[in-house]
Amino acid sequence: MKGWLPAVALGALLALGALVVILALRPGPLATPEERADALAAELRCPDCQGLSVADSPTQSAIEIRRQINELVVAGASDGEVRAHFVARYGEWIRLAPSSAAPWLIPFAFVATAATALTIWLVRRRPPPLRVPARISPGERARIHAEADALDG
Amino acid sequence: MRHLRWLLIPILVVPLGWLLFTGFGRDPRAIASPLIGQAAPTWTIATLDGATLGTDELSGRPYIVNFWASWCIPACVDEHPVLASAHETYGDDLVVVGVLYQDAPADAEGFLARYGDAGYDNLVDAGGRLAIEYGVTGPPETFFVDANGIVRDKQFGPLTDALMAQRLASIGVGR
Repeated sequence: MKGWLPAVALGALLALGALVVILALRPGPLATPEERADALAAELRCPDCQGLSVADSPTQSAIEIRRQINELVVAGASDGEVRAHFVARYGEWIRLAPSSAAPWLIPFAFVATAATALTIWLVRRRPPPLRVPARISPGERARIHAEADALDG
Repeated sequence: MRHLRWLLIPILVVPLGWLLFTGFGRDPRAIASPLIGQAAPTWTIATLDGATLGTDELSGRPYIVNFWASWCIPACVDEHPVLASAHETYGDDLVVVGVLYQDAPADAEGFLARYGDAGYDNLVDAGGRLAIEYGVTGPPETFFVDANGIVRDKQFGPLTDALMAQRLASIGVGR
């Protein structure tokens, strides 16, 4: 059981390190309404495209959603209110990134599991300690000497 | 312990295979509408023939809102007679409203001239605002609204007679 502890600790440390890096790299608060509107448009899925955000799409729906985002932001809506406006019409599907924190933890869980498994494998791979008998019989001693002499030539 | 190791393979592979199988088997745009059970969007919009139609004129009557386009082939062509038939069959008991989805009025008129105009109103959705209010991802999509103005059902993809009867039952039509 004790052999697992360093492995689990290493996995947890790796996951924590990755989380800290991601949090450190996260962009800071956006200042202007235009920046906020652009960021929100990048978060929302274009309804009639394949895997594009509203910010990246030239379709009529994307243009109209961008217009509505600008309108809402200028009218004083918070980011959450703007997201809720479109979620009320399309459901959570309209959001490119999931709102719950749980899916974000999945990669960390994978990294931690993989690191734990790798460490356990490396720990177990070490050769077992050599077992030398406490006493060598006179016959065995004679045979060892004979073989050593034969090797010396 | 050695047997457990072999058990790990199906434990990992089966759920992954199931996820891929179910994921690839459905249209990613066929989303459940959050509008179901909610009050339908309200609107007053110009129709293809130059008049205007508003939800206040529909109050107290069940209605369906069908988003379609002349370029939506063959789905919109396939369901066109189903909508026309519902309009003729239920008369005043059901209002059928078509909405042009990212389509030019002239192209829509050409479609109706070719496949038949059943006489119900078609709205010209400038900018696609109404489509966004309904959370439409692509035609054809049809929303079923009851006499109290509540959205009761949604059809993603073309309607058939059987689907139409099933969906209309949710708004108390044809029972």
